Amino acid sequence: MPPIIEVRNFTKKYGSFAAVNDISFTVEEGSIFAFLGPNGAGKSTTINTLCTIFEKTTGTLLIDGKDVSLQKNEVRKAIGVVFQESTLDTKMSVEENLRMHCVFYNVPKGEVEERIRFVLRLVDLSDWRKKSVASLSGGMKRRVEIARGLMHYPKVLFLDEPTTGLDPQTRAHIWEYIVQLQKEKGITIFLTTHYMDEAEICSRVAVIDGGVIVADDSPYALKKQHTMDRAYITTQNPEALESLLAAHKLPYQKKAAYYRVDADDTALLLQVLSAQKDSVTDLEIRKGTLNDVFLEITGKEIRG
Amino acid sequence: MKTILALCVRNLKAFIRDRTRLFFSILFPFFFVYVFSSIFRNEAISDPVPYMLVGIIIATVFETALRISASTIDDMTTGFMKEVLVSPVARVSVAAGQFLSSAIIAAVEGFIILVVGFFIGFKVTSVLTLGLVMLLMIFVGLVFAGFGLFIATNTKNIQTFQIVSMAITMPMTFISGAYIPFSLLPRSLVFVGYINPVTYAVALFRTVALEKTGLQTDELLAEQLALQIGEVVVTPWLAMLILFLFGLLFMVLSTLTFVRTDFSRINRNKDNSIEW
Ligand SMILES: Nc1ncnc2c1ncn2[C@@H]1O[C@H](COP(=O)(O)OP(=O)(O)OP(=O)(O)O)[C@@H](O)[C@H]1O
Ligand SMILES: [Mg+2]
Repeated sequence: MPPIIEVRNFTKKYGSFAAVNDISFTVEEGSIFAFLGPNGAGKSTTINTLCTIFEKTTGTLLIDGKDVSLQKNEVRKAIGVVFQESTLDTKMSVEENLRMHCVFYNVPKGEVEERIRFVLRLVDLSDWRKKSVASLSGGMKRRVEIARGLMHYPKVLFLDEPTTGLDPQTRAHIWEYIVQLQKEKGITIFLTTHYMDEAEICSRVAVIDGGVIVADDSPYALKKQHTMDRAYITTQNPEALESLLAAHKLPYQKKAAYYRVDADDTALLLQVLSAQKDSVTDLEIRKGTLNDVFLEITGKEIRG
Repeated sequence: MKTILALCVRNLKAFIRDRTRLFFSILFPFFFVYVFSSIFRNEAISDPVPYMLVGIIIATVFETALRISASTIDDMTTGFMKEVLVSPVARVSVAAGQFLSSAIIAAVEGFIILVVGFFIGFKVTSVLTLGLVMLLMIFVGLVFAGFGLFIATNTKNIQTFQIVSMAITMPMTFISGAYIPFSLLPRSLVFVGYINPVTYAVALFRTVALEKTGLQTDELLAEQLALQIGEVVVTPWLAMLILFLFGLLFMVLSTLTFVRTDFSRINRNKDNSIEW
């Protein structure tokens, strides 16, 4: 099966500044794909170009085999977007915003009412249906924005930092539904996020930094490649532990209360340690996280 | 078609919900009629009140259609235009929805003046005239809404639009024969008037509203309802064609602007944009 999104040698310049510099990647149909990267990395630039509303500088971008610069209308029919910044109609009510979206995307008349009820329940705004968008709080506006994006079923759904600024319950709710959309409707999800727990759910994660893709793999593979498991060991018999670790060529660091061991292969480490199970009083193993991957690759701490 | 209608209704709703603007929009025509009907009592025209009133109506329709087009810039700065333009709706529907709502608001404004006019001496002898007057107001509204939308989509912020539209509206209304008959203008300005599309709107509308459609060309010329430009006589019907072409041109141009809109070139107003 050909990839649903195909990007080859895409470059976007603002003036002489290349915000995205010659990137290539593909996204499998029906997968959840995440763009991870520090602020200003070029994530939104890429999404906006894929959505047909930014003009690329050079490169080829295809969605479902259609060129985003040449077959704009076909591409627009295949996608749904929640932009990073607000695109709500602040002059209208919540319901009017949702209804207008149905007009734009030709949602069958008979389904509109049911869809509105459903998405409003999903983002917990049923009581706000008739209120003007201008009167909502920032997070509530964001919820309306997401609800609107979920009104129709596109082939590819773009979500640019969809859950930033939302409370944890809403975030969990929306995520549950996004995964359901992917599983049951086979919708491809392309998102950017600064939350590592969200990236963790994705089929694939591409890390972008300074306009170039610096890593692109499954969360599992990324963690495997870029992080090690870390064991914190407390023992009654330090000399025995040290010689044991040294004998197996396991590098360790001695701290005041514990030994720290970085291990590629946790199973092996446990096997080694089992020889001393009487003297080891405490053992904690921390798996490497995507956050570690991120820091390792981009060398910067990120918010979220 | 469904999209045009939905966008048009949305624009009308937005207009009505803005109470302050609505209030002044209704007040404005009364003020104009009052001022102009007392000032312009000149000898050049036999019966000045209906003549002037009709000019005021069409000039107001023109100005309103142009002014209302600025709401597109609002939609640009709030980001809503991004939602519209990323969707598969035809760009021409987006433009048409805007034209239609601007034209309707402009025609309603014109209609209010017309109603006031009936109390200060304006009359028509047939219902047909009234119907034609309404249709013409919508037609002229559409023509200049297209022009306004073109300016709006190319200025991209409210302040610039206001300056530009002021600079355009002033000469276009005053050198059109709407308020000041051409016979009272210096030669050089009359020439400017000939290239002003509002001139043709005024001539056409006056002919119909004052029920002079039956007149011969030389009579129309005498009443300043037809224009003699060199060898060519622009009758009200030719004027209608000119307006139609003018409107069509800007309809196409503003649709093209929507087609070509590249949001990466638009710097959104900091105060209006909400970034998360
Ligand atoms: N319209 C624009 N004009 C000029 N430069 C821009 C424009 N939009 C973005 N940039 C620049 O391009 C770079 C990438 O921006 P982009 O919005 O793609 O970042 P991002 O990865 O989405 O960041 P964030 O996490 O903050 O959303 C930034 O350096 C930004 O300053
Ligand atoms: Mg961004």
